Amino acid sequence: MSQKKVAFPRFGNYNLCIKYFVEQALNAEYILQPLLTQRTLEAGARYSPDSVCAPFKTCLGSLIDALEAGADTLIMPPGICRLGYYGELHEQILRDLGYEFDFINLSRYSTGKPKDYLKALKRIDPDLSAAHLARVGAETLKMLAHLDDTEAEYYKNCGFEVHHEDYHKTWSRFLAAMETAQSLHDIEQAYSWVKQAFSSIPISKPAFPLRVGVVGEYFTAVDGFSNHFLEQKIADMGVEVHRFMSVTNRNLRYHGKNLQIGIQDYCCYEMGPTSTANIWAAKHYASHGFDGIIHIKSADCTPEIDIMPVLQNISADYKIPVLYLSFDSQTSDTGLETRLEAFYDMIRIRKEGK
Amino acid sequence: MMKRQAYLGIDIGSISTKGVIIDEKNKILASAYIWTEGDPIGASKKLLHLLEEQFDKEHYQITAAGTTGSARKLVGTMIGAGTVKNEITAHAVGTTSLHPDVRTILEIGGQDSKIILVENGVAVDYAMNTLCAAGTGAFLSSQSKRLGIDVEDFGEIALHSQRPARIAARCTVFAESDLVHKIQMGYAKEDIVAGLCQAVAENYLNNVGKGKKILSPVVFQGGVSKNAGVVSAMKKALGCDILVDENGHLMGALGIAILAGRSGSIQEFDFSAEHAAFQTREVNCGRCPNNCEIICVYRDGKLIDSWGNRCEKGALRAEK
Repeated sequence: MSQKKVAFPRFGNYNLCIKYFVEQALNAEYILQPLLTQRTLEAGARYSPDSVCAPFKTCLGSLIDALEAGADTLIMPPGICRLGYYGELHEQILRDLGYEFDFINLSRYSTGKPKDYLKALKRIDPDLSAAHLARVGAETLKMLAHLDDTEAEYYKNCGFEVHHEDYHKTWSRFLAAMETAQSLHDIEQAYSWVKQAFSSIPISKPAFPLRVGVVGEYFTAVDGFSNHFLEQKIADMGVEVHRFMSVTNRNLRYHGKNLQIGIQDYCCYEMGPTSTANIWAAKHYASHGFDGIIHIKSADCTPEIDIMPVLQNISADYKIPVLYLSFDSQTSDTGLETRLEAFYDMIRIRKEGK
Repeated sequence: MMKRQAYLGIDIGSISTKGVIIDEKNKILASAYIWTEGDPIGASKKLLHLLEEQFDKEHYQITAAGTTGSARKLVGTMIGAGTVKNEITAHAVGTTSLHPDVRTILEIGGQDSKIILVENGVAVDYAMNTLCAAGTGAFLSSQSKRLGIDVEDFGEIALHSQRPARIAARCTVFAESDLVHKIQMGYAKEDIVAGLCQAVAENYLNNVGKGKKILSPVVFQGGVSKNAGVVSAMKKALGCDILVDENGHLMGALGIAILAGRSGSIQEFDFSAEHAAFQTREVNCGRCPNNCEIICVYRDGKLIDSWGNRCEKGALRAEK
């Protein structure tokens, strides 16, 4: 049997981890589609219901990109919100368009028993052993944690670099190393290289820089294209940008019940896939003297709409401004820049007055 | 004799273009207010001409210029402004300079509306309408055309109403169909006009003002603040007095003039832009599938600036 050509929707930089996993664990070829662009979004929007959230459209567009690039097996992630239902719709839409492919919808295997995920993966590699899966799985999670960790450091410092693009060049090189990694050794080597490289970039950072915390809907907060590279835009104004939401923090190291304890004054139970994490992060930023919080979501994202009143309470209690932004396929860059610039001016003038 | 310093500020909105020249003490030396009429370059030229006529060139020299409003970048390039800033910051700075004790600034313009919360003369929180222009000046002016009334008379007529019609305010499109329905039912014109004013105020408070603590003193500005009907509806809804400055429409221009003055960089401004020919051209980059639309601005046939590219690949450099 020939090797399967596997693809996954574009989602931040996490495709690099999936690539590693597919290539090393599943004995298959991974198709890495081009980066998300306006064309991807438009292609996705053309075949999507108009009122559905932007991540649905982006994912559909990037699945089409993958099929055009030669993929024959598509994997769709599971999710606790409407995302859990999206795989089924994506498959139907793509089949109606006439594409031929195998579709592995992980939502169908989300039964609470991890063993069932093994069944899904065996569709790609019938000879997959649990031991091999466990080993490569652990390596992949290492890579994922390193990616998130490096990205977090990037956005904390890139706004203060002395030479233009120093950080960006290093970060791109690190991503390229992760893309070509073939073993845990490669991953660890690239990670220690980037740590070293980042720490030797000259920066000029004030003792008390402006700090902004970004919270919001999983996909839109994490995926740069989907939020119009909002973090880069604020960082470039000379701001330290923090974002708690990431696969590492939301999935690998997540313990909802324990985060809930710190926010019980604001809400007493989990309200959606990312509500506890976001409220916890917002309270954390507010109580740690951050200058502002930006809440981002795709338009009409119900779980995130639900946490907005809680953020308003945090904003009032800690006297910290919160900027609320919604993104859809029609969002204009100009409108976004106006709002970000005004937000930046406001927190800067406010800090100067203190 | 040394000439005294003056600063120019221009606020180019979707509907109207406003400009002021101020002295170092923020006193307004010249001001003008005209319609943009879909031609920000033409309107700005006309505005510069009006300002130049009022301006005392013998005693003052403009040493800094700034632009704000939705066409700030275009006009900023055109007049060579040293300060180009968003209208939210400009309005906050302009208003707090005249009303240092203000706590809430309500602003309803042609296409957008915003709320700015102020504490000790510094903006501490703001919100701006997203995705929808419901309840803005553009809505009022399109409805006034439907009713055959000049938008300037709208407020006066509204004040004559005893029982304003209830108009569904959540969305402009539904508000409009509700309005047509009420007209056909035979409601009196003034009741409909008053109902519309109420709809604008409610829509604003429910959308832009949602979750914000509105504390007095409240200043209301932007083109719609000239409408006495909306002012009275807003007062009723908030249950407190509202201050409408007679120069309320100039706050953005005033703010950006102050910011230009504060910027500290001195750049003498003459009115030559008034007579130059400006052209804009849109090019699609085509170097990647993003296909960014790049706007190029030419002064007398020479490229002076361009923007709209997402990355370096689409950067077009001005001829030196």
